[in-house]
This record gives sequence, C-alpha cells and structure tokens, in this order.
Amino acid sequence: MAHRVILESFSYQYPGQVTPALADISLAVPKGQCCALLGPTSAGKTTLLQSISGILHKHHASGFASGKIVIGDESYAPLPEEIQFPKIAYALQDPYVQISGVRETVLDEIRFTLENLGRWDSSTDDSILSLLRHLGIDHLAERKPTTLSGGETQRVALATILIAEPDVLLLDEPLTALDYVAQDRLSDLFKGIKERSTILFTDTHMEFALAVADVIVVLEKGRMVFSGDRKGLLDHIDSFESILPSHQWKELIRTVKVSQGPEATEAILKAMETI
Amino acid sequence: MAPPDMRLDLKSKLASVFFLWVCAFTLDWPVNATLILLAILLRYVVPGFRPTSQRAARSIVAFMSYSTLIVLIVVSLNAVLLPGGDVLLIVGGIGFHESGALFGLRTACRLVLLSLSVLLFFASTPIREFIRFLQGTGFPPQLGLVLLLTLHFLEQLPDRINQIFAAQEARGSPVRANVVSRARAFVSILFPLVLSSISESIDRGQALELRGFLGQGQMPVFENRRSDTSLLTMSLILLSIALIILRILNWLIA
Repeated sequence: MAHRVILESFSYQYPGQVTPALADISLAVPKGQCCALLGPTSAGKTTLLQSISGILHKHHASGFASGKIVIGDESYAPLPEEIQFPKIAYALQDPYVQISGVRETVLDEIRFTLENLGRWDSSTDDSILSLLRHLGIDHLAERKPTTLSGGETQRVALATILIAEPDVLLLDEPLTALDYVAQDRLSDLFKGIKERSTILFTDTHMEFALAVADVIVVLEKGRMVFSGDRKGLLDHIDSFESILPSHQWKELIRTVKVSQGPEATEAILKAMETI
Repeated sequence: MAPPDMRLDLKSKLASVFFLWVCAFTLDWPVNATLILLAILLRYVVPGFRPTSQRAARSIVAFMSYSTLIVLIVVSLNAVLLPGGDVLLIVGGIGFHESGALFGLRTACRLVLLSLSVLLFFASTPIREFIRFLQGTGFPPQLGLVLLLTLHFLEQLPDRINQIFAAQEARGSPVRANVVSRARAFVSILFPLVLSSISESIDRGQALELRGFLGQGQMPVFENRRSDTSLLTMSLILLSIALIILRILNWLIA
C-alpha cells in the first residue's frame, strides 16, 4: 500500500564537507502521488532520495543530519538508519549497476530480488512475466542482462525493484537512456502504479515532470527553491532558467502565456498530459 | 545400458582442483606435464568441465597458447642462468644447462597446472552456482557479495579496456599502432580504469544492498547432487597414469 512521505526541516551534511548537501528541506508527498525533484546537477536530488531510502546513513554514518523523515506512520529522526527495502525501493541513476551481472537471463535477474526477500517460488514467475509485459520488455525475458541496450537496461533495472511491490518508489533520473516512446511508457507505468506506490523521482528537466507529477520540488545548491503543483511551477516558470527543458520549450511556454493570458497554464498542462 | 552420469557437482569439481594443486606441489614435472594434458582432455571429455560460454572456451584456448610461450621462456631463462649438469645446447656462445632446464620445467609445469586447474573450474562453473554453493556451505553472504563484484569486474575488464582504448583512439592517440604504443597507452588507461572500476563496484554493491541482497531473505541454498565416487575413481586413475608415465620416463632416462 502506498505511503505518504514527509520531510520536516531536513538537513544533511556529508562528512568532511563544509556546506550542507541539503538544507532545511520540508516537503509532503501524500500517499499514492508522484513527486518530481527537479534541479541542476549537484542540487542535492540524489542525496534526498538516498536519505529516504536509508542507504545514506548506512554508508555515511558520520554525516550530520537534522530534522525528521516520516514514511507512512513511521517517523525517523533524523533519517532511516537501515535500508528500507522492500518497503522503499530505490533505483540508482546508472541502470547498469542495478543489474547484478551474475544471472544468465533477465527473468532470472528479476527472480534474484525475490530470492533475496525469500519470496521466490516457481509460481512467482507469472508475476515477473506480467510485470515484464507491463514494461514492454517481455520479449527480453530470456536475454542475457549484460547484452541489452541502454533503454532496455533501464526498464529491466526498474523491473528488478518493482517486482518487490514497494510502498514508496524512489527513482534517480529514470529518464536517462529512454527514448520518447519509452518515456511515454514510463508515464503510463507511473499512472498505473500510483495506487500501489508513492513515487519520488529526480530529473534535470521539467517536461516529464509536468506530464506526470502531482507534486514538484525544485532544488538548487541543496536548498528548496520551489514546492507546489504543476500549475504553480508554470506560473513561476521564469524563475527556473536552469531546469527549463530546452530553448524551444521555453519559447513555447512563454509564447502561449503571453498570447493567451493566465488561462494558458491549464491549456499547457493539458497539452503536456497528452504528449 | 544408460551412459554413466559424467556430471560433477561443485564439491567434486573443487576436490579435483585441490587434487591437481596437491599434485602440482608434490610431484615432479613429468607427472605434472601429464596432468596438464589430462586436465585439457577433461575440458572436452567431462561435461562438468565444459566451458559455460564461448568466451570461457576462448579464454582456455588463449591460456594454452600463452602458457606454451611461458614454459619456453621460463625453461630457457633457467637453462641459461642456472649452470649445472651437461650443456644441452650452445646458441651464439650462450650455453643452455641441464639442471637449469629441469628446474625451469618443474617451475613452469607447476605454475601452468595450478593456473589451468583454477581456470577450468571457473570457466565451467556459473558464478551464480558457485556463490550459492558458498552460501550453502555456511560462508557469510558478504563474502558472496565481494566475490560476485570481483568476478563481475574481471568479466567486464576486457570490454572496459577496449572502450577506453577506443576513446583514446578517437582523440587521435595511436594506442593500437604497435607494442610500444600499447604498452605506453596501458599506463595511461590504468588510472581511469582502476578509479572507474572502484566507483562502479561501490555503486553495484549499493544496488545489490538496495535489492535486499544482505537483507532478511535467504538465497536458495545450492542443491547438492547425490554424492558419488566418480571423482575419487577418476583421481585414482589420473594419478595411476601419471605415476606409470613417470616410471617409464625414469626407466628410459636410466
């Protein structure tokens, strides 16, 4: 069941660093919603996901953290100290490292997750195949994971954690290596799994976020510079030069706003959803 | 009559490796040379020792060709540098001595047998089975994780080196021009290769942890096949053949 995710005045400083990677972050993602964490590189997006997943404390126990993280009904002050899998699943930015490399086929690679959880038996293969169909990669089931293309690896990497049916799904730049068709499929997938899992994902650009996210957070140098919905982001579009998707998008958004007035925001959002 | 079951479980395969190691350290070069030939034969005859992939098969072939070269170099160097016994050959005023040649043969055969036995084992054993076997015998999962990362790194190493070479070539660096260029380029790629490998290993370890690898679940324990006496029989046959050959050689020399 999807869980809410709340951060209250959360700050984190890596050991040996003089400036915090995250400073005074407060955000609330209601259960079953999708949150996009936007911002340029080194904004603190990955650190935020790692804080929630529990891996940050496990690998940097001497870092300084303050504030509170709430996941579902459980409160962690300041942050989870153990990896929360399968309650919280976290996919790393590089999909290639998500693949263990010791399994012969994609099917077997995904079984590996269930084996780790002690949940695998022959009947679970049907669930795996169903998930692969859902992700449009069922034809890869018998392929060797290390021979896949970037986009295929990205989807297999996603499948390796989705099979655990997490309550909270954390995805670090899931659009890397995905073409537009695969992005559409991911968008559909998000809509399909939101009832089961609350989703938080990071991205450096905003077009995908505008199409799928219910909550959008913009980070810059570890500080939260925006938190709100898609409409709010478009209303303040000029403040976020660094995350504008491209020159063309920027011009299009401005032209529509100028030519059609404030009502244009709704039109843009509707257009985004249909892209 | 049904053909005999020639499959070997991991215990038997490990025992064969151990047997070959004991032979390598305790027996003289003619026996070890015979065992090397028999070990190569094993790769073709015993299904349990057949390579799991074409890449593994290629690595065995490459090892055999390189080891021939290594044996020749080791024997020649020892024959030249260690005087003693009869002079077997004089080339350009340099004498090749019998004692040195024999010492070289002993050392080279030992090295080749040790390496070949390990190579045969890993080329014919899927990593997954090996790790499950280790876990099944009580090794901690952390050891499995470390081993898994190391073996995966080794598997990916040739591709990674090729990628870095290609990147250097794209920048106009003549990395594949000749042996000297390759050697020089190797030094320059070593640093990025090691750094990127360490970084990727850390990430891969994290990803495995994030998939519950060291969590509450337990990987299915390796299924041990019924224990059989095929290994013992085979070992005794191999040892007997090696000893017979040794006796014949000694007789011929005498």
